[in-house]
Amino acid sequence: MTIGYFRQAFVIALVVLVSIAVLACGSIGGGASSESFKIGVMESVTGPGETYGNVAVQAKQMAVDEINAAGGINGRMLELIVEDEKCNAQDAITAYRKLTDVDGVKIILGTSCSGAMLGAAPLAEEDGVVMFSGLATNPDIANAGDYIFRTSMSDAQRGIDTGNVLWSDSIRNLATITEATDYAEGVRRTSVEQFEKRGGKVVGTERYASDVTDFRSQLTKLIGESPDALHIAAQSEFTGGTIIKQARELGFNGPIYGEDVVVGATALEIAGDAATGVKAIIADLDPANSKAQEVLSNFMERYDYITLRWYLGSAYDDVYITAECLKQTDDDQDADGFRDCLYDITWSGTIGSNYSFDGNGEVVGLANVVVEILPPPDRSEDNLGYKVLGPAPSE
Amino acid sequence: MRIILKPIVNSLNFIRTPRDLWRAWRGNIQLWANLFVIGWAVVFMLWQGAGFAVTVGTVFAIWAMLAVSLNLVVGFTGLLSVGHIGFFGIGAYSMAVLSSNPEYEQLRTEALTTFAWPFFAALPVCVLLSGVVALAVGVVFNRFRDDIYVLVSFGFAIIAFNVFLNARSLTRGAFGIHEIARPQIGGWTLNGELQFLLFVLAILAVVMLIAWIIVTSSFGRVLTAIREDEDAIEVFGYQATQYKLAIWVISAMIAGLAGGLFASWTSFIDPFSFILLESILLVSIVILGGLATIWGSLLGAMAFVLLEEGMRFLPFLPAEYIGQARQVVLGILLVLLMLFRPQGLVGKYKL
Repeated sequence: MTIGYFRQAFVIALVVLVSIAVLACGSIGGGASSESFKIGVMESVTGPGETYGNVAVQAKQMAVDEINAAGGINGRMLELIVEDEKCNAQDAITAYRKLTDVDGVKIILGTSCSGAMLGAAPLAEEDGVVMFSGLATNPDIANAGDYIFRTSMSDAQRGIDTGNVLWSDSIRNLATITEATDYAEGVRRTSVEQFEKRGGKVVGTERYASDVTDFRSQLTKLIGESPDALHIAAQSEFTGGTIIKQARELGFNGPIYGEDVVVGATALEIAGDAATGVKAIIADLDPANSKAQEVLSNFMERYDYITLRWYLGSAYDDVYITAECLKQTDDDQDADGFRDCLYDITWSGTIGSNYSFDGNGEVVGLANVVVEILPPPDRSEDNLGYKVLGPAPSE
Repeated sequence: MRIILKPIVNSLNFIRTPRDLWRAWRGNIQLWANLFVIGWAVVFMLWQGAGFAVTVGTVFAIWAMLAVSLNLVVGFTGLLSVGHIGFFGIGAYSMAVLSSNPEYEQLRTEALTTFAWPFFAALPVCVLLSGVVALAVGVVFNRFRDDIYVLVSFGFAIIAFNVFLNARSLTRGAFGIHEIARPQIGGWTLNGELQFLLFVLAILAVVMLIAWIIVTSSFGRVLTAIREDEDAIEVFGYQATQYKLAIWVISAMIAGLAGGLFASWTSFIDPFSFILLESILLVSIVILGGLATIWGSLLGAMAFVLLEEGMRFLPFLPAEYIGQARQVVLGILLVLLMLFRPQGLVGKYKL
């Protein structure tokens, strides 16, 4: 009996300690200087989208440090408040409420995942808070509202480019294998729509859940339809690389097409030699853009790795665009002024030159490129394992 | 009616004057601990920001509803199920499909069957559909016990997720469903977050009352007996399988109800809210709160949501590693709680 009471007392003491700790920390965190411009950041730093979320947060933090080192905006510092949206709608809503209600921000950079964006967007639209993403690519975000912007190109754009590349490479019968996530599904659907519009035929379609590791039965089925080419729409690099490897092991010799994920470092490592010659339609930085090269080398120096170059650049540019608009409005609480500034702005930065936003808050003036994966000996950290063949052909 | 009121009257029998009430409560450290945690939570959240507190409160209410429903099965009946998130998802998708805005869905590229039902017409369907599915799978599940039961319920969670992901004409797959209806009473829509929180809390109170009536009734005592020794209770002439099936269906219906509320609250759902991991999280909430205690499930949900959301206020520098650092701290706290309190915050039994 006494032991029971001792335990209960211990639990109470533990609860008290934790609560005091959290309470104390909360008050420290809330006491940031009122001098600086406060901007919210919502990225999926944990969860299924963590590769994207972490790169985005790091690129943004780097841009902010550069701006602050150069004297800030109108003499005031820029401060980021980072929250985790965990790649799902529920956590996006709580993160959004924390940022707007507790920290009082009116401008939020993010999110990484489209599902999180679509969960929080109705709230932002209602409250008049600007949400500005560098990574979310779901086509539905175009209609999410007046306060919703993005520098990331919609999957619809990617799909149209992919469909055109397939057609101009004389592919007529296509097989597709797709990870069942919003991103990968978007890529598959829009690619196939454009491909079929041009006159192509889809002879096989397979989908898999993110945690699958063996695709042999699905691939055997697809190869049995004798397609001219295989299109892979994956969300995780692990599955993307494994599919390439297993497709070649099963004797498929035709061209393989993919997007960002199949040219990622992890995917190339898994696929090894099998990946040689695989083509991808991706958003990548222009090697001729000196600004982009500078950002990449700075990022490499600071974090000692580089991945998802284009998204890194997109997240980086978002901060500079934000800084430019804050310079004009000189008020981080003026979401309407900030929104109007975004509609008017034309920007040249890391991801492209002279790009702007249309009436839906969608970026215009950017393009995808076609790349081809190099044989393993030629792959290096500088070329990321592929060479850029050029911009995707138009219709 | 007498059956419902009897346990309430019985429990109040011993307390006739305020002094009796005080005497009954004085030695109850658990109760004071609970009151302290809840009081602290409310103060903390309101102090940080009322809007955020309301959002966190709604998350808590939905998880509490799920935890109470799961506790009926895991705590009181001793059937460890990790498939409960499937029923939550069935409820959420019923609500989403039945009540999403057809005009909005016409804009989307993937066609979806829409019905445009009002919230209160869709909610009973969420409950009933979950119940029907639970009845169907429960008949099969009843053939299993103990460890095997965990495995088949695991399978159910996987199947449910894949159905949400791949039944594209019904669920729009990975794209998710937008513009799910909010509750509407007459011409008055519960649009505000606070109104919705009060609405969910009211439903939570009803759910807790139902759960309490179940566990204090003779039906509840048979469930406890099944947990202790299923063979022994069958010797006394009780059909254990029927009792297990009944509580399974009731529990699933509550989860479906929570799912319907969840879909209406977020107004956007995709299959990734209903992954197996969430189900494991739910089991941890039940264990954290304490098995076979309804009050404990409420407390477990509150402790968990507070720990998780409270992490947002821990300052970690640099900001680049904030997400991972929070996960580590949350994990350590949960491990410590299980180490020193394996029976949960207010529970009496270990798993």
